[in-house]
Parts: sequence; C-alpha cells; structure tokens
Amino acid sequence: MFTAPASRPPVSPKETTLPQKSIILLLTPALLVVVTLFGGGLVIGFFQALGYQPGIEEQSLSLQHFITTLTDPDFTTSLGLTLYIALTSTLISAIASILLAVAINHWAANNKIIHFILQIPLAAPHLVIGISMILLIAPSGFIARLCSFLFAVDVQNTFPILVNDKWSVGILLVYIWKEIPFITFMLLTVLKNMGNELLEAGASLGATKLQRFFSITFPIIRLSLGASCCIVFAFTFGAFEIPYLLGQTYPQTLPVWAYMNFSDIDLKARPEGVALGIIIAVIVISTVLLSEYLTRTPNRNR
Amino acid sequence: MIFLQQIGTSLLSFLVSVVISVGGAFAADSLSWQQIEAQAHGKTVDWYMWGGSPAVNTYVNEYLRTELRERYGIILRQVPVQDIAEVVSKLAVEKQAAKVEGGSVDLMWINGENFRTCKKLDLLSGPLTNILPNSRNLDSDSLALLSDFGTPVENMEVPWGNSQLVMIYDSARTPAPPRTISSLLTWIQNNPGRFTYPAPPDFTGSAFVRQIFYHEAGSVKQWQGNYSKEDLKNAADKTFATLVRLKEALWREGRTYPESPVRMDTLFADKQVDFSFSYQQGSASQNIDDGIFQPTVRTYVFEEGTVSNTHYVAIPFNAKDKYAAMVVANFLLSFEAQLEKAKKDVWGDFPVISLVKADPAWKNQFSSLPKGPATLSDEELQAHQLPEPPAEVLIYLEKGWQKQVLKNR
Repeated sequence: MFTAPASRPPVSPKETTLPQKSIILLLTPALLVVVTLFGGGLVIGFFQALGYQPGIEEQSLSLQHFITTLTDPDFTTSLGLTLYIALTSTLISAIASILLAVAINHWAANNKIIHFILQIPLAAPHLVIGISMILLIAPSGFIARLCSFLFAVDVQNTFPILVNDKWSVGILLVYIWKEIPFITFMLLTVLKNMGNELLEAGASLGATKLQRFFSITFPIIRLSLGASCCIVFAFTFGAFEIPYLLGQTYPQTLPVWAYMNFSDIDLKARPEGVALGIIIAVIVISTVLLSEYLTRTPNRNR
Repeated sequence: MIFLQQIGTSLLSFLVSVVISVGGAFAADSLSWQQIEAQAHGKTVDWYMWGGSPAVNTYVNEYLRTELRERYGIILRQVPVQDIAEVVSKLAVEKQAAKVEGGSVDLMWINGENFRTCKKLDLLSGPLTNILPNSRNLDSDSLALLSDFGTPVENMEVPWGNSQLVMIYDSARTPAPPRTISSLLTWIQNNPGRFTYPAPPDFTGSAFVRQIFYHEAGSVKQWQGNYSKEDLKNAADKTFATLVRLKEALWREGRTYPESPVRMDTLFADKQVDFSFSYQQGSASQNIDDGIFQPTVRTYVFEEGTVSNTHYVAIPFNAKDKYAAMVVANFLLSFEAQLEKAKKDVWGDFPVISLVKADPAWKNQFSSLPKGPATLSDEELQAHQLPEPPAEVLIYLEKGWQKQVLKNR
C-alpha cells in the first residue's frame, strides 16, 4: 500500500516557540473581533432565548422557549428538511468536485479560462443565483419557454416543478452550482502541490488508476476535502435566503422558521426565534467539531 | 404606508414600564392661527421620518422645504431614520426623564403600532388636527380616518397620505373580473389553479386574509370598537374554513404560496395566475410603465370596499418648535402640497384630503393628473375604503392562518 508522506517536516521545539507567540499576537485583533461580536451575540442571544426581553413584564429566565421549540411537531420535520438539504448538497458537490479537480489537475492544470469560469460562481452572491434559478427553471422560466419555442408545444403545465417544490430541487441546484467551484479550488491547491511524482511512482509499481486514486490522491486531499465539506455543510445548514426564496411555504427549514419567529409582529414569538437560532448554532458547531475530530485522529495515530 | 406598520413593533417592550405623567396639551387654543404663523416665522422644524425612499426625500427636501421657507419663513430639516420606532422609544425615555420641553423632534411620520404606543404613553401634543385650518379639507366622516389600525385617532395625529388594497387583472385575459368577494371565491373555484396570494405574515397576503375575514364576519365596524373574544374566534374560524376549502383551487393546489407580492406579480405577468393585488394603488401602472405588466392590465376595488390605511404626522409632547411644526402639518394638508405629492413622477402618494368635498377647480387638477392607465380615480378609491382592524385581530388572523390553513391542524 502506498501512503502519503507526512507533510510536516521535523522542526525543533526552539524554532516553534517564537513564531507561535507571534502568531497568537497576529491573530489577536481578528480573534478579539470574532469573540466580542460573535461570542457576545451568542451570549445575548442565549439570554433572549431564555426569555430576557428588556421592558417586557414577567421577566423570568427559563428553558421554556427551548422546550416549546424542541417539542413543536414541526421541529423534527424542519430538522429533517434542513439536514436533507445540507447533506445532499454537500455530498453531491463533494463528489462532483473531486472528479472535477482531478480532471482539471490532469488535463488543464494551467488553463486560465477554466479557472476563470470556475471563479464566476464564487463571486456571485447566493441571492442573485437564487433569483436567477427561478427565472431559469420555474414552470414559466427561460428553459420552459425555450422548450415551448423549440417543440412548439405549451409546456407550462407539463414542465416539472423545480422551484418551491417538495424535494427542494431548486435549493439543491443553487447550492451545488455555488459550492462545486469552492470545493474544487480547495482541492486543486492541494493537488497542485502534490506534483506528479507520487502518481508516477505508483504507476511504475503497477497500481491501477483506481488504486492510485484511493491510495495516493484521496489521502492527500482528504483533509482539505473534509474541511471544505464542513464549511459547505455549516453554511447550507444555517443559510436563510435560498430556502426562503426557493422552498415551499411549509415545511420550512430551521433558519427560515427562526427568521419567521424573530420577525413576527408578535413580540412573544421572538425568544423562540432566537432559541431556534441557538439550536442551529449548536448543531453546526458540533458538526464542525465532530468532523475535526474524525478527520484529525487517524493522522495523529500514524 | 406599509413599512410604517411593519417596522418597529419592538419598541413597545421598552416602554411598558414608563409611567404616564401630564399630557402635552396645547396652549394654542388661546392663540389665533395668524398668531401661530407669526410665532412660527424663522423657526426650524426637525422632521424625523423614515428616509428609505428617494421619491419621498426629494418631495420633502425640495418642494416642501422651498415652499415652507417662502410662505412661512420656516426652515424644514428632514432627519432621516431607519425606523421611526427608534424615535418613539427615545421620546419614551425623555418622558420618563421628565424632559418636557426643548426636545429635538418637532414632527414625525408615523402610524399603526407606533401611534398606538405614542398614544398609550402620552407622547404626543394634541388634540392637534382640529386646530389646523386645512383640516376642513378632510372628510371627517371617513371611517378610514377615525382609527389607525384600531386605535382611535382623536385628532392626535394629522393625516398625510393613504394607501389601499386594489385587485389587479388583465382586461384582455379576464374581461369581467369578479367585483365582490363572494363572486371572487366562486371564480376561484371555477378556475382552479389561477389564483394565489402571498403567504401571511407577508403584509399584502395578510391584507387579503383580512379582506376575506371582513366578508365572513359580515361586519367591518364591529372590529373598530368592542368585540368579544368569541366574536373574533367565530369570524376567524369561518375565514380559515373558507380559505381551507379554497386551497385545492389555488395555484399549485395551495401546497405552496408566493413569499411576496413581487413574486405574485411575476406569476401574474407570466400568466401563471390571473390576478394579483397590491397595497399600493399605483403599483400596477408603475409595472406597466416598467414593461412588467401588459398594457391591458387594470385594477379594481371590491364593491364592498377594500382595506386601506392612512399615514400621519404627529408632534411630540416636548417638541422645541411646536407652532412651526403645526404650520408644517397644516401645509401638508393643503391642496397644493397634496397635489404635488400625488404627481406620479414626484411621489405618487394618494391624497388624504377629500376630493368629493373639494372645490371643482382643485378636483379638476387632481383628476387631470397623469395617473397611468391602471390606476383608479381618487373618488373611486375613496368611496371604497375600509379601515384596518386592530393589530390584535391582525396577529390572530396571521397565527391562525399558519396553523389552520397552511399546516392544516
């Protein structure tokens, strides 16, 4: 079996202490901002979810809003829908990205045009893509009209429903289109640094293409793949605008539900919205920690 | 205006604990209007208002500013805010701190929930409207001016403009649209898949549900006064039952709804549905101008009327230049200022003054304004206005809709 070489060169402890200190120093400003704004927001949010609302009577802190939310019959449906969207889009994007990255690395490593095309989705905001998707694939959208024009039949009533649909096809399409370039770029950076020597060595030792992929390429891209999938999952799990625009009115994903509660004209719904937000944050953070643990452990044991 | 109710229900929370002291009544009854105008000369009026609309800002900063300087020597200063609720909560704090004069806000643009809060906490100067000479231009019998989302106005705020729900249809596609709610309901059943409405709590979708609610309740006035919890529950249950029966006949069999009126407009323009509706009387004409709607698109109001709401200006209890603010509020109600505001290329806001009562010369000027082909005449609209119910009814309907109609529980 071929294994990837340990990527870290051996360093003496003396050399690492100084840079580590300065790294911490360099990170401080960014960390301060993140901790104050993000951490502070979470803490205030947590108190609001416990029922703290300045000015409103009956100030008692309790877990009631969490309990109400978690026991709502909609919670499991919403959680299921959100997980379905986040996992499906992450999985499909990951598989497509691996194939794409390997292909580009093999045939077009320095092709500027392909890189440029890949960069377009990265620059476009999700909201814009969401609206474009409606214009494109709705029953009255561009594709349906093109079909009507080409085949001279009215397809408006027979065209499959792909937006605001039961299977969230529209949402998945937006995420997949948007996240493939992101993961691909993350993988390409690693693949480029890997060079061809290992693969050539593998080939000369008689490994098949598949063997080379699973024993050389995959172990090398694995960390980077795990990290980028994690980011994509966390984003698609917590994002609001695409499911809001392209989802069904009901059931809603967790973020849409949270927003609806938070912006409710009835102030009493607000703590429940915040509680949902905290639940979303907890799920996302634990997923990130779990996948960190899963992807790092085998490396340390080596 | 729609945004005025949508924004800032949040501040109520800050205010509940505030104890009410003396109201800011006017000493104005002792002064004649000429004396008030004389007092106002050379003063600066700080007008706090939502500043998100370029058209409104231009009307205020160009037309009103110039006119007020030339006519009354008043310097008008617009203070744009994101949400007038912020100003209301600031006033509440000042009230609590007993800052009874020299406040920084002279005039504010307000309605709905924010007005209710102001009135409840006694944050306004007044009664005000009845002192203004131009209040004679208003129709004092109009139900739509008596209460602001269920809160009796009682002259504590001065009407400034108006918006109203109108139905939108394409006269080429639907030559004879159903002109009453009950005939609309029949039409929907007979034409499955050709009608939809934005899902409440979207403001426009919620207004449509209120329209059905008025129809099912059989009364409009009842909700402005004292109604019992049972009355509300009975009428609301009938409304939800009707809407549930309607579901199968809606676009996509009611499995999903457009999330906004903009999306409903798109469906209408794409011929997916045959109706749209809007809480802005002029929006269909605007959409024709923009090439989104066919030129054959028209609007109409139901024979029994459609919900409408008025937006107002009010003077805080501790305003520094009360008299000048009164002169401004009075000028806003003049035929000149209302006419300029109604021009499509200025703002296109609908006049709040009564054109039925107006003298023929002014009436002509208003009716000869280029309105756009789909916009109804002011008289037609004004004759079909229904007041909005109190926020309590609105919330009850939105919650119940989600539970009973959307989730079918």
